[in-house]
Amino acid sequence: MLAYIWQYVYTSFLRYWLKWFIRQATGRCELQRICSGYKPGATRTIKAEYSLQSSKSKVLRGALEADQDKLDQCVGQIMKVKNIKPQKDPLFKGSLYVCLLQITGHSSLYLSVEDLRKEVFNSDNQEHEAALLKLWDLLMPTVKLESRITKQWGDIGFQGDDPKTDFRGMGMLGLINLVFFSENYTEEARQVLSHANHPKLGYSYAIVGINLTEMAYSLLRSGTLKPHFYNTVQGKPELQHFHQLYSYLAYEFDKFWMAEEPESIMQFNQYREKFHNRIKAHLQDPDVSLTLTVRCDKN
Amino acid sequence: MGLLSILRKLKSAPDQEVRILLLGLDNGGKTTLLKQLASEDISHITPTQGFNIKSVQSQGFKLNVWDIGGQRKIRPYWRNYFENTDVLIYVIDSADRKRFEETGQELAELLDEEKLSGVPVLIFANKQDLLTAAPASEIAEGLNLHTIRDRVWQIQSCSALTGEGIQEGMNWACKSVNSKKK
Repeated sequence: MLAYIWQYVYTSFLRYWLKWFIRQATGRCELQRICSGYKPGATRTIKAEYSLQSSKSKVLRGALEADQDKLDQCVGQIMKVKNIKPQKDPLFKGSLYVCLLQITGHSSLYLSVEDLRKEVFNSDNQEHEAALLKLWDLLMPTVKLESRITKQWGDIGFQGDDPKTDFRGMGMLGLINLVFFSENYTEEARQVLSHANHPKLGYSYAIVGINLTEMAYSLLRSGTLKPHFYNTVQGKPELQHFHQLYSYLAYEFDKFWMAEEPESIMQFNQYREKFHNRIKAHLQDPDVSLTLTVRCDKN
Repeated sequence: MGLLSILRKLKSAPDQEVRILLLGLDNGGKTTLLKQLASEDISHITPTQGFNIKSVQSQGFKLNVWDIGGQRKIRPYWRNYFENTDVLIYVIDSADRKRFEETGQELAELLDEEKLSGVPVLIFANKQDLLTAAPASEIAEGLNLHTIRDRVWQIQSCSALTGEGIQEGMNWACKSVNSKKK
């Protein structure tokens, strides 16, 4: 309760007066102090985001929702409102611009991901079908698919004869992630698949992949992935960065599963939760970077 | 949303714990049904690897609902969850006519299981929101449900997506909890 009152008093009054006082003392506003005081990355961008969010000025708050191509103007307006002279702080403009690019880029990345997720796999769509067949060829280069509807799909971890019913709530996002990992980390993906087909420790490769897409998706949606993207992409994060993150999860989950040696696949959700908590713990670290590092990284 | 909060209001005295087992082929809608019972969001569901469990309160019962993955590869594990089951709920995708035979076989095998003998069985003829769904009566006939003599049973058409028919089915399940034939 006391903490709650303090929080209220601090955010409504104290923070404002404190900022005013420091501004008078140093001659620089909070955003300037953030932009010059921290190196590019999560800490700086998250602090800038918080500062803009809690600002009393509409111009500052509005910048968080501005269009990508209007960010230049936004930075100009902010500098005007805050009376920041480029001559006195030449680096400010560029730094704030990158912060805004990352912040607004994260929101638009979520929208693109959400669009893909909502796109239902459709057998009449040639692109969808091609992606599915490509997944097979990438993972099983020496085995030919006998027909489109076949039990063989089970060999790469789909549930039944036709994978189309397995994408469910993740839609095309689930399939595209699977294809991306197999295409850009082919060797690693095949290695993971061979683990998944282990007689004792095995699991369903594709189904687990779709579950990991769900994990990546909810981490993105809740904003938990922000520090990762702010550290690894000095600009606007794109869909491929999300697919990269999925690849990291797919590879790391397999390592984790093989090391834990669960009794059977029935324990999946329990270990999924444990893995999820580990990832969330990593994301608490301001220097976090969830990047898949392999012997020869093609990306 | 609706269902559960209404049921909660009807709740009385100490809860009797009930173990409900949710089985059926993959893509039947078991997890959607489970989430619907718990009034959770159903738009991000993924195929069940292993199982899910949730406890929900209903009509003076604490229902512990076990949702076990339906893919062929893990069906052999179903038997690990038979013990002490009070009600078996079997979920069928009413629009997946190609697999009616397979789902019928799995159900027949379950009804032959010793550990499930006498356990009341509720069959959800799910996905009635789809135009191609077979009516419950047709499914009942196809599965020869009328030949079941060793337990009480019921078939209920429903849509786990819209929630229609679920409450009726669960009402029946709660009523039949104590009618297990020894």
